[in-house]
Amino acid sequence: MQNRIAEHPILGTPQKGRLVSFSFDGKNMEGYEGEPIAAALKAGGIMIHRYTAKQHKPRGIFCAIGRCTDCVMIVDGKPNIRTCVTPLKEGMEVRTQYGCSAKKDDTL
Amino acid sequence: MKRYNLIVVGAGPAGLCAGIEAAKRGMSVIVFDENEKPGGQLFKQIHKFFGSKEHKAKIRGFKIGEQLLKEAAATGVEVRLNATVTGLYPDKEIMVKHGDGMYHYKGDSIIIATGAAENMVPFENWTLPGVIGAGAAQTLMNLHGIKPGNRILMLGSGNVGLVVSFQLLQAGCEVAALVDAAPRIGGYGVHAAKVARTGVPFYLSHTIIKAEGTDHVTGVIIGEVDDHFKPIPGTEKQFDVDTICIAVGLSPMSQLLKMSGCTMEDNPRRGGEVPVVDEYGETSIPQLFAAGDVSGIEEASSAMIKGKMAGIRAAYELGFCKETETENSLEKCTADLDSLRQGMFAPGNKGKLIEKTEEGIPVSMNLLTKGFVADGEIIHFPGVTSQKGIHPVIECTQNIPCNPCQDACVKHCIKIGSHITSLPVVENPAPCTGCGLCVASCSGQAIFLVNENYEPGFASITMPYEFLPLPEKGDKGKGLGRDGKTVCDAEIIDVKSLPAFDHTNLVTMKVPAEFVMKARFFKAV
Amino acid sequence: MNDRLRDIGPFVPGRDDDLLICRCEEVTKGEIRQAVHEGMFTMPEIRRYLRCGMGLCQGQTCARLVKGIIASELHIAPSEVEPASSRGPVRPTEMSTLGNEEEA
Repeated sequence: MQNRIAEHPILGTPQKGRLVSFSFDGKNMEGYEGEPIAAALKAGGIMIHRYTAKQHKPRGIFCAIGRCTDCVMIVDGKPNIRTCVTPLKEGMEVRTQYGCSAKKDDTL
Repeated sequence: MKRYNLIVVGAGPAGLCAGIEAAKRGMSVIVFDENEKPGGQLFKQIHKFFGSKEHKAKIRGFKIGEQLLKEAAATGVEVRLNATVTGLYPDKEIMVKHGDGMYHYKGDSIIIATGAAENMVPFENWTLPGVIGAGAAQTLMNLHGIKPGNRILMLGSGNVGLVVSFQLLQAGCEVAALVDAAPRIGGYGVHAAKVARTGVPFYLSHTIIKAEGTDHVTGVIIGEVDDHFKPIPGTEKQFDVDTICIAVGLSPMSQLLKMSGCTMEDNPRRGGEVPVVDEYGETSIPQLFAAGDVSGIEEASSAMIKGKMAGIRAAYELGFCKETETENSLEKCTADLDSLRQGMFAPGNKGKLIEKTEEGIPVSMNLLTKGFVADGEIIHFPGVTSQKGIHPVIECTQNIPCNPCQDACVKHCIKIGSHITSLPVVENPAPCTGCGLCVASCSGQAIFLVNENYEPGFASITMPYEFLPLPEKGDKGKGLGRDGKTVCDAEIIDVKSLPAFDHTNLVTMKVPAEFVMKARFFKAV
Repeated sequence: MNDRLRDIGPFVPGRDDDLLICRCEEVTKGEIRQAVHEGMFTMPEIRRYLRCGMGLCQGQTCARLVKGIIASELHIAPSEVEPASSRGPVRPTEMSTLGNEEEA
């Protein structure tokens, strides 16, 4: 996982839970149980979390503390889940959010 | 509805300190925090704090956070996490969202310590994935162990921009440039210097014109600005980056205080919309207090003292402690706070160009405009001297309240005195044993141990080094100057890592003697 | 400050009018500037008119920027613009949670 810090000069080795599988838009990915979903996605090189309702522009992590809501995705069927503060659980289904739904609106 | 003597909103440094002081005096205290973990911004701060022993100088932010949590637990402060206070209503009633339900609480007194949120600067394509707040970079690196990106441009040269740039380097990222529209660096010179000497270029009087990329950031274009901060055509510079960090200041999160109906003011000197408070943080509503950044943007050390004062005052007003005890405690807090608010970065000096230090030495303009002290400027400072044998060279050039170096030297080679903003002076370097404690104790990483006559033709320089991989004895490489440019060949002759240094490794390099006052960083080849 | 008869000059299109200011509701700088010239001089009014500040982040990211733009069109300091009010819940809350009152 290309973006993970293996050893930090001050903080040492990051303390993580066990490695679990989850799915992102149907693709299998891995992350550590308990870390924010957004962290697992970023470690896996994913940058786009959703597309906006009006202009259909891509958005990703912005504030990383659950304030700006740019990182929201559909998690286990529920939309508007702030992935930067929601802990990863084994088997979670994470989907790119288009506006407020999981489906890209092809009529627009 | 549950009732407490004191409800604190926010379990950051101010909130925890407030709760601890109140609980010590017998109040029933509950602290609510919307986050999963308490400590506010403290756990993201991996650098050593400034100030004096009372201000917890030399201790890394996250360690201070751990200490506060222990103290809170020991004094019986209840801390409820994942609990969002959604409203502050008349008669000090609050509603809290916890799990799937809403709960009502009532406080005899309430202290709001909700902190601040990052400001934003919009530019073309700023909504592209890859543009993040500096706080986001800290959260990802220091809390979750993830690199925010590989090559980053930082916008903002205040303490946050400078400190986070250094942390990005520590996390293994490349910092392509540090940019600020202002003509001078806003944060401490030493924070800038430790970034500049690794080779990161500073572009003051520049701003971001646009972010490049379709799906996510692939590059950025910056441009010089004039006196009115308008871009000057033809000065564009392009960088290939995958991340742009924005660190342009903080604004208080004072929504709950606004709801309460207390008198508010829009005060740019305090960061935005803040409540009008007295010297203890009490608002126009009796027993409703504001503490920490929410009452005015400062820093963690001040937040802790402001929290203490609010907690003590709340306890006194509700009869939990006597007048004399209260007065003494509050006097001590006020003195501690005042001593922090001294020197070049005192609130009263914000935005001013201070041309001379308290000692009358011209301030380094190069430091303020490029991030490093020029070779010709550094020799004017009292910590920089030429001596026989090993001795400390202290490149501390601004009056900041800070004195761990004085206490660190067991041979009393370094003097600051009772006025802790004074620049450190190398008083009597003869007894120096080269133990390196001063190098490791300087929170600004501005002290070097120098031996001008290490070997015929060679000098040795011991530097603070907080990066991985750690160089090893025998490694050959280049010595970099304060500006981050290669100045000479260098060879590592010693590497010391002791628990007493608290993760500040001491790396000693051998350089040709004529570069002893120039080389300040090592790069392996 | 809120005198609608004040002459603030005509609306002059700017080069960066399609710069996004409110990220949640996707409101642009031009829309905000135009709204000021249509008579919205205060934060509460602009918020109700354009929805900037009403999205998921409740103005956390854009409020200061919107205030600056209004101030610039009115030729006053940002601290003189009438601020938006804060009402509970100050953070987005699901209706099912809001209606679920529990005993503390």
